[in-house]
Parts: sequence; structure tokens; C-alpha cells
Amino acid sequence: MNCTVRVASPLRSYTGGAASVTARGETVAELLADLERRFPGMRFRMIDEQGDIRPHIRLYAGTRELRSLAERMGEDRVLHLICALSGG
Amino acid sequence: MTFSDAELERYSRHLLLAEVGRAGQEKLRAARVLIVGAGGLGSPAALYLAACGIGTLGIVDFDQVELSNLQRQVVFSTEDLARPKAVAAGRRLSTLNSEITVVTHALELRAENVGAIFGQYDLVVDGTDRLSTRYLVNDACVILGKPLVSAAIHRFEGQAMTYVPGRGPCYRCLFPDATTAAVPSCSEAGVLGVLPGVLGAIQATEAIKLILGQGELLVGRLLTYDALEMRFREFSFERRANCAVCGDEPRITLPLDLAATCHEEPVAFRRLRPRELNALLQDSQLGGPAVRLIDVREPAEYAAGHLAGAESLPLAELERTEWESTAIGETVFLCRSGARSARACAIASRHGLRKPSHLEGGLIAWAAAIDPMLHVA
Repeated sequence: MNCTVRVASPLRSYTGGAASVTARGETVAELLADLERRFPGMRFRMIDEQGDIRPHIRLYAGTRELRSLAERMGEDRVLHLICALSGG
Repeated sequence: MTFSDAELERYSRHLLLAEVGRAGQEKLRAARVLIVGAGGLGSPAALYLAACGIGTLGIVDFDQVELSNLQRQVVFSTEDLARPKAVAAGRRLSTLNSEITVVTHALELRAENVGAIFGQYDLVVDGTDRLSTRYLVNDACVILGKPLVSAAIHRFEGQAMTYVPGRGPCYRCLFPDATTAAVPSCSEAGVLGVLPGVLGAIQATEAIKLILGQGELLVGRLLTYDALEMRFREFSFERRANCAVCGDEPRITLPLDLAATCHEEPVAFRRLRPRELNALLQDSQLGGPAVRLIDVREPAEYAAGHLAGAESLPLAELERTEWESTAIGETVFLCRSGARSARACAIASRHGLRKPSHLEGGLIAWAAAIDPMLHVA
């Protein structure tokens, strides 16, 4: 199933500047794998070698936080990729 | 406490509000607020907090005013160029409201001085442009029991949250660690000039509400703002029982300097997409500027497959490597995904290398776009 992915500003260099892209999948893992196929290197900016969400990244399905790659999107069709920002 | 006639007139629009009134205005006058960073966020926050009558307003900043600051740092004027930011901001704020006391701290906030400075204030507004300072400020606020209004910006996007001791999560609960993040600064990624105006005004609003004890704060709520879409969003987050600083068994009990491990220090480096790097390499072979490729992955990763001509220099070695500032040509750092190479740019820059470059997306992106035969470990 297609989901809308809202891309955090620091990750938009991978999506050609797009703030919003679509991805296919039911789980976080599937969605990120689909993103990685189309935007190489993007997944590693969010997920570490152990398969954990990096500590400066948060993922939300709608307003529900997703804490692991196994979590399903369920009824929520918008995946938000949130990244710590440093600018002031 | 009494207000002078001038103060009554100055604050008359506040006094009309039942939520502020005379009692609230007295709270504002008695309040001591510290702004960390007189930059894009600190400028509007400081102007509004001074205008509304915060009795003691502190400004911490060790930079000097540069021409490129004036596009968004509205507390400064052209005549302030080259002046210490804290001093120039203090002068402007005193001109705006002579009824308040402005304290300037023209120094770099560090673990060794943060306690003494924060101890003079009731709440902290964080507008710093470094992740390392952001964590120092958060940790110090948690340890010292000070409320914190935090915000950050990048290009067209901003974030804000508020920490109140004992009432909700801290910044580390939101983002436990950014030591592996490759988060570009404004000087590198650019920023819409008006963006920090929106976020800085939100910070001032939160600070005023905190002092007044009014309204609903951004406690446990990350507010995000996208200026291009003109859309605010809100994401809830909770205190982490295992938070390193506010958790049940905190590991950080004294403020720490993270500058050595947070690598996003403002540094100008060039991001090369695979096709751009490929074009540079081809140009170099035809007599164009030299390109030096440095693979910063671990030796085993390098041995499994690397770009032709790339030297191996693991990231850990970089701190021990000095660079000739007169080196000719382009030095491009490479790694698996682009995270370590971005960090390498920051480290090499600190050690003398001018304008380093890195391969965005790393060798994974290179393999996808240029050479599918490259084995990337």
C-alpha cells in the first residue's frame, strides 16, 4: 500500500529537495526499504547498522510514534521523518 | 512593587489583558531570562522579551557580528559589524527598553561556566546554532532545575519544544544523542531569513507564558513549522525512563562539553553527488584540478571494495592528521553512506583543510548511480 512520506529538511538532499514523496509498504522496514531503492543512502541516515532508529531521528505514523522497524502503519497513511535540527 | 507612569503607559496593552494585568507584569519585571545565542532565533526572542518588560535579560554569545548575519539577525544593525554580538545586542535591547537590566556574557558557554551563568536566571531560551551546545544547555537545565525553551531551524523548517522540570520530557528524551548525526548548520545549508523570526517569537511566547503561569506549554510536544508549506505540525513525545540526564538513573549528573563528539560544528564543506564527483574525476584525468579521494571507513570495509585511487584513512585517524591549508585541488572524503564523510569534513576543517568535500550518499549512492559493480561492505 502506498504511503505519503513527509521528509525532514536535512534529509531532502536525498529526495531531490522534495518535502513529500510516496513509498510502498505496510511496515516501517518496508517503507524505508522502498525509499532506499529510490534514494540510495537515505535509510542509513535514519537507521544504524543494528537496525535501530538513530537517536537524532524520530518516526511517526500520523501522530503515533514508531519505535521499531517492525511497526505497521495501520490506518495511518502518512509517515513523518523527523530529524534533530541544529541551526539557530 | 509600583510601576512608574512611563511603565504603566509602556505596558498598557498588557495591563488590559486579564491573563497578564498588573500582577502578571510584575512577574515579568521580576523574571530573569537568559538567551543562549544572539543569532537568528535569539534576535527576535530577545527583542520581544525586552519589549515586554522582562526585568533581567541575559545574552550569551561569543561571536562577532558579520554581514551575513544581518539577513535574519534583526537585533543588529549594519553599524554593529565586527562588534561582539552580546555587546551589540545588549546595546540595542537597552535602547528598546531602558526600564530593564540587560546582562551580556560575551563568552563561549562551556561545562565549566554554564552552572555559574545559568544560576543567575530563572529560565533559559536556547537559540544556539550548535548541537553540542544544545545538549550542554539541556543537560545544565535538567541538572540545575531550570525551565528551557528550545528551538532550532534548517533551511525552511523549524522546531520548538519546552522543558519544565518535573513536568515533562527534556531535549534528550526527544533526541537522546546526535553524536552520529550529520546535521548541517545554517552557514552550510542556508536558511530563509524570516524563518527564525517565527520560531524566535514562539520561544518568547513560551517564555512569557511560563513566567505568567498561563496557557498550555509545548511540554512533551514537538512543534514543527514548514515555511514553504506554511504548515505547523505537532508530535507528542514522552519522558524516557532511561534518559541519560532526566531518567530514573541518570548517567549525566554534571554538564559535559560535547564539542569533541558532536561534529556538526559550523563548517563549510561541499556535498558532491555521485555524478558531480564522477565529472570531477573525469575532468582531473583530462588535466583538470587534482582530486584526492580519502576513504574514511574502517580498513576491512575499504579492503572489501573501494574507488580506484582512493586512499584509506579511517575516521579515527583524522583527529591526528594535519592538513596543508595550501593544498591544491579538491579533497573528497568517502564512506559507506555519507555520514562519516560529512563528519570527516568537519574534523579535517578543524585541522587546517580548506573547503573539504564529501560524497553525498556515500559509496552506496555511487554504486547505485555510477558503478553497480562496486562492492560496498
